[in-house]
Amino acid sequence: MIKNGSDILMECLLEQGVDTVFGYPGGAVLNLYDALYKYQDRITHVLTAHEQGASHAADGYARATGKVGVCIATSGPGATNLVTGLATAYMDSIPVVAITGNVSVPLLGRDSFQEVDITGITMPITKHNFIVKDVRELAHTVREAFRIAGSGRPGPVLIDLPKDVTAAECEYEPQPAAGVRPVPPPKEERLQMAAEKLNHSRKPLIYFGGGVLTSGAEAELLALAEKQDIPVCASMMGLGGFPPRHRLWLGMVGMHGTLAANRAARECDVLLVCGARFSDRVAGSRTGFAPNAQVIHIDIDHAEFDKNVTAAVRVAGDLKTVLAALLERTMPADHRQWTEELASLRREPHPADRGEKALPDPLAILQTLRRLTDDDTIVATDVGQHQMWTAQHFELRQPRTFLSSGGLGTMGYGLGAAIGAQFGCPHRRVVLISGDGSFHMNLNELTTLASYNLPIVVLVMNNQVLGMVRQWQKVFYGNRFSATDPHRKTDLVKLAEAFGCTGMRLDRAADVETVLKAALEHGGPVVVDCRISPDANVLPMIPPGGTVEDIIEEMDN
Amino acid sequence: MKEGKIVFSVLAVNHPGVLLRVAGLFARRGFNIDSIVACRTENPAYSRLTLVVTGDEAVFLQVIRQLLKLEDIVKVMALEQDQCSSSELVLVKVRAERDSRGAVLKAAQTYGARVLDIGDATVTIEMTGQTDEMDRFVEHMESFGIREMARTGVTALERGDRTIHDEE
Repeated sequence: MIKNGSDILMECLLEQGVDTVFGYPGGAVLNLYDALYKYQDRITHVLTAHEQGASHAADGYARATGKVGVCIATSGPGATNLVTGLATAYMDSIPVVAITGNVSVPLLGRDSFQEVDITGITMPITKHNFIVKDVRELAHTVREAFRIAGSGRPGPVLIDLPKDVTAAECEYEPQPAAGVRPVPPPKEERLQMAAEKLNHSRKPLIYFGGGVLTSGAEAELLALAEKQDIPVCASMMGLGGFPPRHRLWLGMVGMHGTLAANRAARECDVLLVCGARFSDRVAGSRTGFAPNAQVIHIDIDHAEFDKNVTAAVRVAGDLKTVLAALLERTMPADHRQWTEELASLRREPHPADRGEKALPDPLAILQTLRRLTDDDTIVATDVGQHQMWTAQHFELRQPRTFLSSGGLGTMGYGLGAAIGAQFGCPHRRVVLISGDGSFHMNLNELTTLASYNLPIVVLVMNNQVLGMVRQWQKVFYGNRFSATDPHRKTDLVKLAEAFGCTGMRLDRAADVETVLKAALEHGGPVVVDCRISPDANVLPMIPPGGTVEDIIEEMDN
Repeated sequence: MKEGKIVFSVLAVNHPGVLLRVAGLFARRGFNIDSIVACRTENPAYSRLTLVVTGDEAVFLQVIRQLLKLEDIVKVMALEQDQCSSSELVLVKVRAERDSRGAVLKAAQTYGARVLDIGDATVTIEMTGQTDEMDRFVEHMESFGIREMARTGVTALERGDRTIHDEE
């Protein structure tokens, strides 16, 4: 049947099972929005306050549901406003399809109003991108975009649509969803090598990342760890992929990881790396991180092999398949001495603030929140101290319940991500844990919470300073607090109310449970201004470039 | 690991922007390109890029793996310089006044270079060959004075009967 470009796009989105898109209208996407009006019974369009919010929402939707997130923006500034969101998704391998409008084909390259070369701009931060200059290529391109976004190591894909292409007509033939490219099975010889190294190891360690969640390999990971009696640690991206109360769980590894996990990395003789990439926030020193270990690296992306740390065995493939295969090829083992040695390094978490006791402590807030919420509660964060406290102390018990910008470290990510997650999982609790620095970056999205009456609880760890940078200034810059004490006068309670949300204040240690309960029971959008001490620190901490030998466990306020 | 040079022969889907994608990848990953040549192939659906890269084995492996991640890249072949037939082309406009012109033309002839144009005070010479021959030629021409020069960079094909289409 003959359809115009905008309708073809809608039909192709429906082919892919898309029922929710996040976006913001504008001149170049008027035809597209006219089609969204027509298709509103089948595709819900969520209007955000800013395109950046839409890009983070698409990302949060994808992280929480495992489906491809979709965002739409107009040409020029609309498109450039997606850039941070796309870079965030790219760094954390999140499948997103971004659709941007552009000026009509005859106006391209003439510096027309709201024209920008968004494919050029996003080339290094997308898995792939397209500009469609002929409506006859549109359907194929959209299908390709979804296939690329979801296949192998996922990532964002951008489709740029000149306005005349969204109006032009051509024949449209429906097709079933593209599906992802099949992953070649792992090589038997590599599996044998890996199994042999594991079978002969005396001090093995598993270090896993977001790849476990992408692959859905949590059960296989747990089974292998138990069968081989291997202690387990994860990058921040892996949190939620292993039961946190398990005897083999060492916690997060890296800069703000546990002593036990980092010591284990230092001393292990075989390191089984599952869907992780030795980021500098994990392996601060690439040579000092696991100096005695033979590395077995499992990844779906060949380019991760030997990129940061050289592997002894490289197993390319889908983690779920590879771990199941390793499970069959390995012998049961008992590493009691090693696991007990590491268990002795476990530390009870202590409050983030050693001084002020009248103010609520982040640790108490997070532990209380954990107690008051179900295991399937989705927690989004922004970036900074609150993010690390959440990663350390909010026990994540299920995969895809932690939405946090790991690779790019995007302050302002969380509110958009929480919106996306709430639309993707309407029956689950979504909480955003933010800091006052991050929250100020994209708090405009409170308006979206209010418009759609989303029952999201926002906890702002408000220490009135830019805490993480300030902490670095304490450790490395002689307490010279340059630009980290902004003296902001924002009243977050009034701010929330002004946006049509509910504002609450938590400023006494004794009130943590009462206020959190009230916020969780409220049922609508709530912002809780959690007044914490500016001197609370994130510990332990391994200085950049350092190893566990340099770990800082104690700090004066 | 030892630093060296490798020729990468890359088959890409002939989409606009392929060269930009490859060049961008090299720039942001910090790989050193000595030269890059892009052209059409016997099949209009594909274009072929030939890159000479300086680095060590770890870098070369990363180059291959990163290139293969680009959607438009179909195949990548890494060729040691003695494994391939390679050639590049240079055009030089050499100072050649009446008194030196004879010497310039004679030198060109010695190298098997072709004279493309003779002006009042310069001669423009085309030379093709392998990189080291070209370097020697250019060095010789410098003794006369090079006014202007344009050089293509290396193109290469594997020696023997095998082609990039046989590559796994």
